[in-house]
Amino acid sequence: MTDIQAPAVRTNQTDPAVAAPAQIKMTARDVNVFYGANHAIKDVSIDVDMENVTAFIGPSGCGKSTFLRTLNRMNDTISIAKVTGDITLDGEDIYSSDMDVVQLRARVGMVFQKPNPFPKSIYENVAYGPRIHGLAPARRDMDQIVESALRRAGLWEEVKDRLSDSGTALSGGQQQRLCIARAIAVDPEVILMDEPCSALDPIATAKIEELIHALRGKYAIVIVTHNMQQAARVSQKTAFFHLGHLVEYGETSEIFTNPRQERTKDYITGRYG
Amino acid sequence: MQKRIRRRYAAERRFKFMGLAAVVLSAGFLAFLLVTMLSNGLAGFSRTEVALPIDFPAAKLDVTAKQLQNRGADLALAGAGLDEVVDKAATAAFGEQGIDIISDRAWTEVREALKSDPTLLSRKARIDVPVSQDVQNALDGGGKPAMRAIVSGMQAKGLFSNKFDFGFLTSADSTDPTNVGIWGALKGSLFTMLVTLLIAFPIGVLSAVYLEEYAPRNRWTDLIEVSINNLAAVPSIIFGLLGLAVFLSFLNLPRSASLVGGLTLALMIMPVIVIASRNAIKAVPPSIRDAALGVGASKVQVIFHHVLPLALPGILTGTIIGMARALGETAPLLMIGMRAFIAQPPEGLTDPATVLPVQIFLWSDQVSRGFVERTSAAIIVLLVFLLAMNALAIYLRNRFETRW
Repeated sequence: MTDIQAPAVRTNQTDPAVAAPAQIKMTARDVNVFYGANHAIKDVSIDVDMENVTAFIGPSGCGKSTFLRTLNRMNDTISIAKVTGDITLDGEDIYSSDMDVVQLRARVGMVFQKPNPFPKSIYENVAYGPRIHGLAPARRDMDQIVESALRRAGLWEEVKDRLSDSGTALSGGQQQRLCIARAIAVDPEVILMDEPCSALDPIATAKIEELIHALRGKYAIVIVTHNMQQAARVSQKTAFFHLGHLVEYGETSEIFTNPRQERTKDYITGRYG
Repeated sequence: MQKRIRRRYAAERRFKFMGLAAVVLSAGFLAFLLVTMLSNGLAGFSRTEVALPIDFPAAKLDVTAKQLQNRGADLALAGAGLDEVVDKAATAAFGEQGIDIISDRAWTEVREALKSDPTLLSRKARIDVPVSQDVQNALDGGGKPAMRAIVSGMQAKGLFSNKFDFGFLTSADSTDPTNVGIWGALKGSLFTMLVTLLIAFPIGVLSAVYLEEYAPRNRWTDLIEVSINNLAAVPSIIFGLLGLAVFLSFLNLPRSASLVGGLTLALMIMPVIVIASRNAIKAVPPSIRDAALGVGASKVQVIFHHVLPLALPGILTGTIIGMARALGETAPLLMIGMRAFIAQPPEGLTDPATVLPVQIFLWSDQVSRGFVERTSAAIIVLLVFLLAMNALAIYLRNRFETRW
């Protein structure tokens, strides 16, 4: 038990784990996802708020990544996936026919498990999103957007002299921060992170976690993670998924110290998963 | 234990040796082909000329120096009977057999010489003109004994010279092997390839993109996929029959035209391009698509900004393999009439034309000895064309290759 609590306590010291008063950004009600005959997500209802970092935890195959991908309709690319239920962004139904999926993804950005920079220059990686959305009519504006995105992603100092180098030439951690900068550059409202540190070493992981702290409040952040210590360190709210169900959702400190559900407790204490 | 390790090493050595033997064998065949082609073909690029003395003032040609600089010079010289003047000069210089010594087109060489230097009209001159095929045969140690005797006498006087035959690269087919040129067939090949590329590349790539990115997976797309794979294996002559039926009989396009040849070959290589492009598109990592979709790119943007640029090297490789196959194809073109005797290089896509491999096929059928060297020379031209295309492909592929 003490093992698990320790990181939560550390988080308390640096960053009050007490969730800030919530302004709800996204809501999901009775969401079900089917992959063909496979019922991957079962009746999940959850609110994601603006001020807090929300972590999705749970054993492999529990549906947390699948659910994350429904939040910006990335599942649309899988032809056999079917989503039912309501998901809203600022009260708008994102699965309604009025919602343009391209606009939605500009508002709800995504960072993936494996760093996936485009095989283009660092500058082009960041500039791509703003360019296709027409955010920077002039070259000077674009320079500014790129610089500020890289600064916010904490990468500017490391790459400012080699913006024309290939994005794929960076180290794994830098690549992942570049991907975060790329997501930030289109000025989204929500950032979804799908196990952003699972391919990184501890030092790079620590940098990403610092970055998540710094970005908190500016964007609603949802992070999927396998690593419970990480969830405890970076998030204020935690949702525990198991076998497609949302088992428990609450303040991170509550979930880790005083879980209400037996299954949550078993998972957090390492009984399974 | 020891024995097993020894056996394993022996097996590895055997395998390595077999691989090496295969490489050496194929390299040997290739070297043999190249050496034969070069030794036979290089002679085809040159021609033997004989120095022919002509006394222009005595011949009293009815043309002025001024006329020679005008555009009507060819007509004026032909009208003034230049060919007879040349024949007479040959008889005067080489005796009774003189006319048989020089080539039938010798007088056109004299004409060109006069046009480039009109002052020749007022003096005696020695002009190098091509020899006839009979002389060529005699020089090579064949032909009639009488001619061999005359030729060896002239050879002793040093009248013959060997020159690079520019005519071979600039003229078209002819019945006389000393007169033939490859330019007509080369131009026909260029036109045909152009049509093939312009039709097959866009249609092939677009089909591949649709099948890979948009088409739903169902029985119909499975059927289409199987059909494409089968089409790629259909013998080329059948495409020729298809071209004959569709383009000539049904659409009434001009016979023997490079347009029809190009369309037929485009049909033939399209499956190859579709298959190669689909594989190249499939090989683009899904994470790149996710990344682009994740920042809000539309499907078309993902395809044109990311998928196609990354797939381009593979698509180009497939296209070049298809184009190289089309360039060397003979059978389907025979079906649509491109085996005709074409003495004029084509001026446009609808002019009657022939292509390099068909020209080689036609020349290799000729009885006259002179065509043997010409055939080899044409093969060299075809191979150089092919090498140039492949070099271009490699250059383009390296340019667009993305380093990960």
